[in-house]
Amino acid sequence: MTLRSMSRTIILIAATIGLLCAPAPIFPQERECSVPERFYISEPQLTKTPKAIAHGQDVVIVALGGASTLSIATGKPDLGWPARFAAALAERFPSAHIKVVNLAVGRQTAKQAAERLDREVIPMKPSLVIWETGTMEAVRGMDIDEFRETLRAGIDELRTAGIEAVLMNMQFSRDSEAVIHFEPYLAAMSQLADATDVPLFRRHGIMRHWAENGSLDLRVTDNDQRRRVAARLYDCIGRAMADFVTRGIPAANSPAKIGSDR
Amino acid sequence: MLRARQHDPDRIERRETPAIPLTPVDKSNSEEITTVPSSQSVAQRDLRLDFFRGLALFCMFIDHMPDNILARFTIQSAMFADAAEVFIFISGYTAGMVYGRAMEREGFLLSGVRVYHRVWQLYVAHVFLFMMFMATVGFTAGALNTPVYAEEFGAANFLNEPGLAVVKALMLQFQPAFMDILPLYIVLLAMLPFVLSGFKSWPWVVIFASVALWLAVQLDKRIALSAYPGPDHVWFFNPFAWQCLFFLGGWLGWRGNHGGVPRLKNRWLFYFATAGALAGFVIRFSWTLHDFYDPLPVPVSMEFLWPLLSKGDLGFLRFANVLAVALLVSRLIHPQARFLATRGARPFVICGRNSLHIFCLAILLSVLGHLVLNEFFGGTLMQIAVSAAGIAIMISVAALMEWFAAAQRASGTTALRAPAVGGGA
Repeated sequence: MTLRSMSRTIILIAATIGLLCAPAPIFPQERECSVPERFYISEPQLTKTPKAIAHGQDVVIVALGGASTLSIATGKPDLGWPARFAAALAERFPSAHIKVVNLAVGRQTAKQAAERLDREVIPMKPSLVIWETGTMEAVRGMDIDEFRETLRAGIDELRTAGIEAVLMNMQFSRDSEAVIHFEPYLAAMSQLADATDVPLFRRHGIMRHWAENGSLDLRVTDNDQRRRVAARLYDCIGRAMADFVTRGIPAANSPAKIGSDR
Repeated sequence: MLRARQHDPDRIERRETPAIPLTPVDKSNSEEITTVPSSQSVAQRDLRLDFFRGLALFCMFIDHMPDNILARFTIQSAMFADAAEVFIFISGYTAGMVYGRAMEREGFLLSGVRVYHRVWQLYVAHVFLFMMFMATVGFTAGALNTPVYAEEFGAANFLNEPGLAVVKALMLQFQPAFMDILPLYIVLLAMLPFVLSGFKSWPWVVIFASVALWLAVQLDKRIALSAYPGPDHVWFFNPFAWQCLFFLGGWLGWRGNHGGVPRLKNRWLFYFATAGALAGFVIRFSWTLHDFYDPLPVPVSMEFLWPLLSKGDLGFLRFANVLAVALLVSRLIHPQARFLATRGARPFVICGRNSLHIFCLAILLSVLGHLVLNEFFGGTLMQIAVSAAGIAIMISVAALMEWFAAAQRASGTTALRAPAVGGGA
């Protein structure tokens, strides 16, 4: 390849990129934060928990995680996704008795969370544990194999106690991606979920999808606006999680499509 | 001119040309930018090394851009190993060949200084990449204060104590995104003179020790180099494990100067390697397909093989797979195979030949490409366009370097060349 033909190729490719960037569609600011089917379709469905919800039994669901589960960005726990998730469930299954317990601790690693399972989580006799994790590991660049083994041991421990589990991966934000190397941790969680047949709530991909179609823009500078954006994000996540957990059972009080295409 | 070539270590490493040409001086080198190299110069060089190192660099660039559809079609989707193994193995082979020859010709001290000159270049490249990383951090610093991540990023030590992070990066202990393979290469190359002199006296003892150290890491995960931030942080690429691949490559390269290793030509070994590589392909590729379409079954679940698949510790399957494929390539593709000299292979060959510069460029481009993909999204077409653009830039920079080197050679100004290619010294 000569220099000339190469520069021609480059100009061509640059033009293609320009064309692809140019017609960036402008989306309305407030769009439904729906989740496309592809994020759920290959995930196994829960069995016990949806059944218990449908039958109106007492159901305890524990949320484990870090700052994003704790709702630090909104400043109010009742605006976090676990609270919004509980609200969405209550709305859809008015006769059910569902209690969502938020046991998140900021900046907690998967290992620290796993150590709390037998002392704090299992004694509550939950039927489901939603484990949001991976962020600290990626931010700190911790050992990936160890991270995966920790999750596997934790899931085994929950299963032995007859508790179902859902994994939730990291958040997506455009600006963090260049500095924090999330990819290997996302892959590790995806592989583990696949191997252990645990449903994985692909928050990273879902949030990326929302950023892409313009339904949630996290790039805000104003402090008030930030809290609002965070609240909206957690509300979207909470409702999507309600869809995700109750797949396979018809809603008793089928809502007019609460933010999802399910 | 010949003298100038011999005393330019950069030339030796970059070219894989025998420092003392086995045949008369290759005058064809000066015209290789615009024409296919004549058979005379090709006869001296193992083009496979350049070609596959170039391939590894392209794969590395693509793999480092997540959410890129093409990353599912790089070498990592067809074998347990990925571009990192290929890169380290070929680098070891080349280093063993070039510096092994230099050591026999000029003795331990002078060839050792040559190696350390190269180590210095790698170190400078590492510092350069770190500057790039910090620039990215600086560029996105305000945005990192994003509402959803503010709390957890507070735990990223390098943001809280950037001064210490700089010192730790200079000590090779801070290895943020993509800055983990150069430190590995640096320490391995720094060990090379001692290992090479070991090969001269007791090759089997050195090989045995190297394999034993690798095995020890597999059995005891505590054998690792500590990294920043402490206390439980370690180097991502465990040098105690990866040394085995590098020095095995180095040994093969060194033996290659003396007619190779006869035992590797064994027919049964070839069948064994073929079976191994095929099995690796079937299993790994089934995972790739399963990833695309979940209901597709896999012959062996990934879960069972995890203990043998560690990337940081160079798990057994990754190690064995890359060796098996290397054996197949060495047996099936002739060093001067015709396709390696074609125009189609040329982009790979020139990138592989200028590997250090193109490597740094690839890292930089993958960070930029990732930023572009996250800014504009744009789906599969955009991913392919960004990947193609990056690869085109890598190829044109490599072509420019080849052209420049040839022009320098033609005008006999080799002395001026060193600073131009970032040799430093």
